[in-house]
Amino acid sequence: MNLQLAKQQWQPIAASTDLIPRHVFHAQLFGRELAVWRADDGHVNAWENRCLHRGVRLSIGINDGRELVCQYHGWRYANRTAGCTYIPAHPADAPARTICNNQYPVIEKDGLIWSCMADDQPEYSSTGFLSGEKLVLRSIPVNATVDVLLEQLTDHADNRDNINLQSTNPHATHVSLSINDQHDNHQIDFFLQPVDSHRTVIRAILSGVQSNTNESDKLHNLYRYNTTLTEIRELAENEMQRLETPEPWEVVIKPVSELLAHMPEASNRANGLLRVKVASTDNTATAIKSLELVSIEDQLPTFHAGAHIDVHLPNGLIRQYSLTNAPGQTDRYIIGVKRESHSSGGSSYIHDSLKIDDVIAISAPRNNFPLRRDAVKTILIAGGIGITPLLSMATAMHHSAQPFQLHYFVQGEDHQAFSEVLSRFETSLIVHTALDPAETQSRLNEILQDYQDAHHVYVCGPGPMLDATRSIAEKNHWPDNSVHFEYFKNTQTQDDTVPFTVSLARSGLTLQVPSGRTLLEVLRENNVDLPSSCEQGACGTCRVAVTAGEPLHQDVYLSHTEQQRGDCMMTCVSRAKTDSLTLDI
Amino acid sequence: MSSTCTNLCDDLVILNQWHAIAAIEDTSSAPSHTRLLGEQLTYCIVDETVRVCRSDADTLPLPVTCAYGYIWTCLGTPLPLFELPEYLESDRTNVCAASIGVRVSAPRAVENFLDMGHFPYVHTGILGEQPHTEVREYDVEVTEDTNEVIATRCRFYQPQAAAGAEGGMLVEYVYRVPHPYCSVLYKSCPDDESRMDVIALFVQPMDEINVRAHALVSVIDKNSAPIAIRMFQQTIFGQDKPILENQLPKKLPLDPRAETPIRADKSAIVYRRWLSKQGIRYGVIPAAA
Amino acid sequence: MQAKHTLITLYDYELSGNCYKVRLLLSMLNIEYTSQTVEFYPAQQHKTSWFKSINPLGTLPVLVDDDLTLKDSAAILVYLASRYDKSENWYPAGDAATLAKVTEWLAFADSITGSASQARLAEGFFYQLDAEACRASAHQLFRILDEHLWFAEQQNQPWLVSGAEPTIADIACFPYVILSEEGSIMRQDYPAIRRWTDRIKRIPGFTVMPGVFPAGPAQTT
Ligand SMILES: N[C@@H](CCC(=O)N[C@@H](CS)C(=O)NCC(=O)O)C(=O)O
Ligand code: FES
Ligand SMILES: [Fe+2]
Repeated sequence: MNLQLAKQQWQPIAASTDLIPRHVFHAQLFGRELAVWRADDGHVNAWENRCLHRGVRLSIGINDGRELVCQYHGWRYANRTAGCTYIPAHPADAPARTICNNQYPVIEKDGLIWSCMADDQPEYSSTGFLSGEKLVLRSIPVNATVDVLLEQLTDHADNRDNINLQSTNPHATHVSLSINDQHDNHQIDFFLQPVDSHRTVIRAILSGVQSNTNESDKLHNLYRYNTTLTEIRELAENEMQRLETPEPWEVVIKPVSELLAHMPEASNRANGLLRVKVASTDNTATAIKSLELVSIEDQLPTFHAGAHIDVHLPNGLIRQYSLTNAPGQTDRYIIGVKRESHSSGGSSYIHDSLKIDDVIAISAPRNNFPLRRDAVKTILIAGGIGITPLLSMATAMHHSAQPFQLHYFVQGEDHQAFSEVLSRFETSLIVHTALDPAETQSRLNEILQDYQDAHHVYVCGPGPMLDATRSIAEKNHWPDNSVHFEYFKNTQTQDDTVPFTVSLARSGLTLQVPSGRTLLEVLRENNVDLPSSCEQGACGTCRVAVTAGEPLHQDVYLSHTEQQRGDCMMTCVSRAKTDSLTLDI
Repeated sequence: MSSTCTNLCDDLVILNQWHAIAAIEDTSSAPSHTRLLGEQLTYCIVDETVRVCRSDADTLPLPVTCAYGYIWTCLGTPLPLFELPEYLESDRTNVCAASIGVRVSAPRAVENFLDMGHFPYVHTGILGEQPHTEVREYDVEVTEDTNEVIATRCRFYQPQAAAGAEGGMLVEYVYRVPHPYCSVLYKSCPDDESRMDVIALFVQPMDEINVRAHALVSVIDKNSAPIAIRMFQQTIFGQDKPILENQLPKKLPLDPRAETPIRADKSAIVYRRWLSKQGIRYGVIPAAA
Repeated sequence: MQAKHTLITLYDYELSGNCYKVRLLLSMLNIEYTSQTVEFYPAQQHKTSWFKSINPLGTLPVLVDDDLTLKDSAAILVYLASRYDKSENWYPAGDAATLAKVTEWLAFADSITGSASQARLAEGFFYQLDAEACRASAHQLFRILDEHLWFAEQQNQPWLVSGAEPTIADIACFPYVILSEEGSIMRQDYPAIRRWTDRIKRIPGFTVMPGVFPAGPAQTT
């Protein structure tokens, strides 16, 4: 039989009850293997059963409720997006966003999970079931072709007085039988799932069951039809003995994108804006408002703990905010916004004018503050609204039972934001309330006492506190690469008076940067397209590599060691100590 | 259903290689049977002479060489077997550690052997342990004189690096791939800092997608009994087996776009290119021209 | 309380599923023991006269506890559960029907050993056996097992024998089911078996062996 038509239709791949929490179901349709799993939020994922890295089946992986973890090298893939959120072999890098598993469309309806292998899927339309309750029968995998099974099913109906064949659909993987005996008036719809050229799963739904049927009658029906279907299986498999077994269907695996094949450095380029809707807001603490953003059309992109987005406000301002939720929570982004006392219209707009259901544009997430998950000990230090990226990190670690300490410095109890999420961390959360600068410093000194190999500290908060933390860490012998920080803004005084020359090694351009203009502006003017975000030397997005000359660093993104090495710079604020620089772009 | 693959090999590069088929010490005068490149072979040791022939007819004996504790044979015209000088060092214990069947292609098995990233996940508590998952930068090249893939400066944190090791340490590795289906690794030796323990993997292609993985362990370890070494190696192979058997496709795809490499996979990338360059087709999916 | 006695010794081979049954229960009952390796493959130490003086059958596992030497994994499971499990869940001796059900599954486990384990020996350890026939019988058994487990799930029964807690029946059947793919017996067609193996992996004290992957944590709340 020609199954071309069936390929255009929705076909069942599992029963709803097959997808219990924290399990990965192994499905197959038209020869193609699928890993099907339900996240804790109920969402059903149907992915190619193959890790993009080295092809290991994901059906042997671990469903942690939010992410699917591959058994071979521990790559993590997010619920919904199928985007890779973490590559353990390179713990300091946020993975390139484009590493995304092949997904298949999936619908949960009538007690079954359906997928479709066509490029354009038709609308799913429910079969005409009898009214009353529906009972999904136990599925029966059969080593037989769809054809042979169909024949057996119709024979079965033909040979019994009380069973009538009602219909077979044109592509003939669906058969409807009505069963009438003294007490029952049932209909059974069979959906023959073409697993492979000679393997088929019989899935069936019994309808017309009276709604008040008790459990034992239900069970009786399940047993009874299970027996019938088992008999049909035997007949079909016997029939198959007489036929030649067809070759398995060939499955073509889609190649990964050109970009991934060549091991790119993680790219931070913002591609297009996303439109999101404000789903809810919460005044989570004094002067701090949290916003829950959900996508209007598309799935929100994958992100990694520590990521931020640009928020484009209707008044034309662009502001950066960290995502506070964890990478596997893919149905929304949650940000926290503090009302700045001298707001130039960004935070005050969000506090005063932005309403639920308003639509705003955001950039895709970028991550210049990625969480490593290979630490023996992780210390998170938050000052005030600096809690936001650290909240995402803590949630991710808490969920995968990794130990951490979250130190949260706040002015007073009413300044403590996101209390509900924080309360889950129990003893991992240490709140320090209303300390003066000297007390803060001595507390930080205690926290950063004994550095050991593979300890990492992450700090986010007001500039003076970050400066203090960094210097205390240094005094306590924390190496630069174990101290991770993110400034909200760059409060250092900037000097843009000295002009300099840049040569672009790859583009072959030589450009002059006059006083009063930034390097980034000059590059853009000359059509050198560089991503940027905060444009004040705090976020790290506009970083480029320097191959000759000595940069004059004016950012707060790079560590001292990185600045001294002089092999990279932030184009938005930094300039040159030498007359000219050569950049690797 | 089991899938054995009955195609005979017409890949001359592979046909002309020596392939290990059994440990000498596991072979007796009673004929044993195995498969190589899709063909059934019979082998035995009679009066200290090793005999290998095709099972179906009493054809001429096949070429035989005994090296590194194993019996090697060839279905074509054999090229010289690669050197493994450490095997002869007098203070080493050489152990034929295991011959385990795995349903995978030979190149996939070799690639797994070169891979450090899986240690914390697959060999948990032995060759790696979370959270120590980082694969540090290392170097890979193809040697000009011997045309081998060599990876150097490989370092990885290991809780129990060898049968005789106690406590975790950052272990240094060097990997060689001197034969399309064989690889040798050298790792820092817990007993003697100036020497390296050697573990060699000789993959016998029973057919394109079924192999016997043979291991030779050559250590400067006075304390580990051979049985402990064998059990250690069997554990490691036993842990890799279900991963390899769940890789899709079973043959190693040489097209760079078939899978997603990261920096940690440098040696695998060079190995795949090296196979491509030699025009190897057996056990691989060649890249589209 | 038991009197203080010498440590239990398990004659053990790491890659053996029958030995794994015993290691699993020892670990779940948190019993200390020493393991004495017997190299089953390739050295065939279980066929030496040394080992046959311990177990004339020449099979693994063997457990020695004080004066008692026990062969056969099922006998060992029965012994360990009866002697050391204070909860009496693992081998519920108090109830005739339940006990009989447990015993029924112990016999079923032996049939799995006779088919699935044999196929694995043929594929991985090159035993000269009719692997195809072993696979066919294993699939027959797995169909029965899957059906049983599916209907158990319908009745909110997570384990082989009805009751809230697992029994040694689950422990006896688990190893060669979970290792079956090494004998080319795929479990894709047995979704209820796959869910049951996940549940077993989440029993406190569960340990892996080469060839068995760990499960992630269960959902809380
Ligand atoms: N019924 C015994 C069977 C044990 C058995 O077959 N063990 C295997 C190792 S997994 C063995 O020792 N086989 C050796 C042989 O049968 O010769 C049990 O459950 O312990
Ligand atoms: S194959 Fe999945 S993480 Fe490497
Ligand atoms: Fe391995």
